[in-house]
Amino acid sequence: MKKILSVLLASVMVLAMLAGCSSTGGNESKAPENNTPAGTEESKAPEGGDQQSDGKTITMWSMWSSGEPQANVIEEAAAAYEAKTGVKVNIEFKGRDVNKVLSASLEAKEDIDIIEDDYKRIGTVYNKFTYDLTDMAKAANYDSFSYKCLNDQSIEWAGYLNAIAEQPQVGGIFYDKDAFETAGITAEPKTWAEFLDVCQKLKDAGIAPIAQDSAYCDFAFYHQLVRHLGEEKIEELDMNGGWSGTAAEQAADEIIDLINKGYFVDGAPDEFPSSENKIGFGQAAMIVCANYVTAEVNNNTGTQVNWGLFNYPAVDGGADNASAYAGANSLAITSYSENPQEAFDFIIFLTTGEWDQKMADTAAQIPADSRNKAPAVLNGTVETLLAADKPMTWCAGISANADVKDAIKSLCVELFEGKYATGADFCAALDALYK
Amino acid sequence: MRKNKAMIFWFCLPTLLSLVIMFVYPVCRTVIMSFFQVESVTATVSEWSFNGLGNYFKIFGSASFITSMRNMLLIWLVGGVFTLAIAMLMAVVVTSGIRGKKFFRAAIYMPNIISAVALATMWIQYIFQYDYGLLNEIVQLFGGEKVKWLGTDLKFWAMTGSFIFGSVGYYMLIYISGIEGIPQDLYEAATIDGAGKGRQFFDITLPLLKGVIKTSITFWSINATTFFLWSKMFSPIDTESSTIVPVIYLYDMVFGGKGITTRDAGAGAAVGVVLTLIIIAVYLVTERLFRGSDLEY
Repeated sequence: MKKILSVLLASVMVLAMLAGCSSTGGNESKAPENNTPAGTEESKAPEGGDQQSDGKTITMWSMWSSGEPQANVIEEAAAAYEAKTGVKVNIEFKGRDVNKVLSASLEAKEDIDIIEDDYKRIGTVYNKFTYDLTDMAKAANYDSFSYKCLNDQSIEWAGYLNAIAEQPQVGGIFYDKDAFETAGITAEPKTWAEFLDVCQKLKDAGIAPIAQDSAYCDFAFYHQLVRHLGEEKIEELDMNGGWSGTAAEQAADEIIDLINKGYFVDGAPDEFPSSENKIGFGQAAMIVCANYVTAEVNNNTGTQVNWGLFNYPAVDGGADNASAYAGANSLAITSYSENPQEAFDFIIFLTTGEWDQKMADTAAQIPADSRNKAPAVLNGTVETLLAADKPMTWCAGISANADVKDAIKSLCVELFEGKYATGADFCAALDALYK
Repeated sequence: MRKNKAMIFWFCLPTLLSLVIMFVYPVCRTVIMSFFQVESVTATVSEWSFNGLGNYFKIFGSASFITSMRNMLLIWLVGGVFTLAIAMLMAVVVTSGIRGKKFFRAAIYMPNIISAVALATMWIQYIFQYDYGLLNEIVQLFGGEKVKWLGTDLKFWAMTGSFIFGSVGYYMLIYISGIEGIPQDLYEAATIDGAGKGRQFFDITLPLLKGVIKTSITFWSINATTFFLWSKMFSPIDTESSTIVPVIYLYDMVFGGKGITTRDAGAGAAVGVVLTLIIIAVYLVTERLFRGSDLEY
């Protein structure tokens, strides 16, 4: 009897353990029948979007954590969408490190209809598992209210439109309009010479012109490099070396010139977010960053900076004097989703009209629907994004070579620390990484 | 009592299965994966392509990996010497009959209770802060110039110093338990023979703590090899040379980083194997150095 009891107990323990190891309940029962990769005939969007949806459930994996402003808006929008259509949106908040689990989950064909992540990852890492949204987007007239530069970039990466921008980002030089007014600056600088003039006027007015955190030194210098060399050339140099003798020397010289003229705020490059906070404290006027810096500074310092944005200034004889950083957290539909139309309808519901405006206002973000209005702290960002032709990446040119990427970042910090007397010295240090 | 072998097997089965599924299988898969070109950590075996020692050549040819290994070695060596020495000193002081022993023990252990994220934030945003940080306030008090503690020159040491601060309490407790296990009569006899506190420490405490020291070196080696969170905290947006360690390198390889979408799970697996071999090597060396150090009183 004891033996039988013991065997039974052991069996129960094994079963319980195996049950615990299995994936979440019900996933297996929803094995997708439509596993065809996106872009094939079978993966095309179904005809029409007004099929009977009542009672269906779609699952979304979000990159936010429950309780964050973005998460709250998504939850509210999902509830409103269910009330309107009867389609329940089951949201799982995975947090900002969602990318660490998404690849594995998509490969395992987990029960996910919508994923939310950086649009570059959606375009390059998850593209095998994303639905071709071209037809559905066309039917929804998506082009008329979205940002062309982001759509084009997604298509370039994936070969088809596979992401709908949800929280667009734009980069450039964010500045305190009040500081500019105090210094008597009436126009945003468009060229490097004008930019130097602005810096001098700010300095003369007792305001440090530029804030710089070490975490963003590579991003700031990347702008200067892109202006002089363009992203393609930068990537070529990044892979093979040979920086010396190129326009990278001039780019570095211009940064060194800013340091020598005392245009950086005291302590720069500082530890994030100390330097950017100095704009909130009225000690500095400008920073090279993406749009989230505005909300960060306002939140960190408890002030309402009167923000403005202008594109990074053009340099003499530059190879790319127009591009601006643009990116987005986007939404995509899995290629094996059984309810792609419902998923797409929810995405459009969330990223347009009332809910997009609410997302923009609540989380201080650029609206995904260009017909909506950006919050005051992001004035001008919608126009900048609409005008952007091809977006600049987030340092992709100097991140392409994994073997030297971290060292280049550190050298960029050293450049802003004033450790190099000339651009030639800096480029020689870059080239030394390849020996 | 008669042994029932079948019963032993059934009772061990759940644990054995857990061990095989959750430990042996991932270890074997990682070792095998390190010899293959694999993009995603969860890619099916059919997607793997044999790469021989290619992944190992790749990581050892990478300047970033070499920098990360150098940083890890410095954390292990310099951090280890300071952490274990300070922990030993604290343990000896706390067990010496000092008044307020419980308070000091709790105070020194306190950093281990606080989340490492909170601890690192305190160091970064307050103690090392350039404008109003504690250290620069002290420097200025003595008429010195403000120091950029988190500049490229000092960032590594700032990170290591903070890590030491957060680790001392744990090793102090290990040493305290070891010291309290040493029979008091040894010290009483030594005192009667005229041995001072220093002599007692070097001739009684230290030799009898060899086994504990061996354990603490192994623990420290594991801590240094798996060093991750502090590096992430000191380089919040993206990895930097001054703070990169092998696990961060591995993490970036396998999952990509900000603005990086290329992944190489095979190379990441090779890093994992190298780190495991390092820990095993350290363990074997300490076992050899401290052979016969396990004592019973």
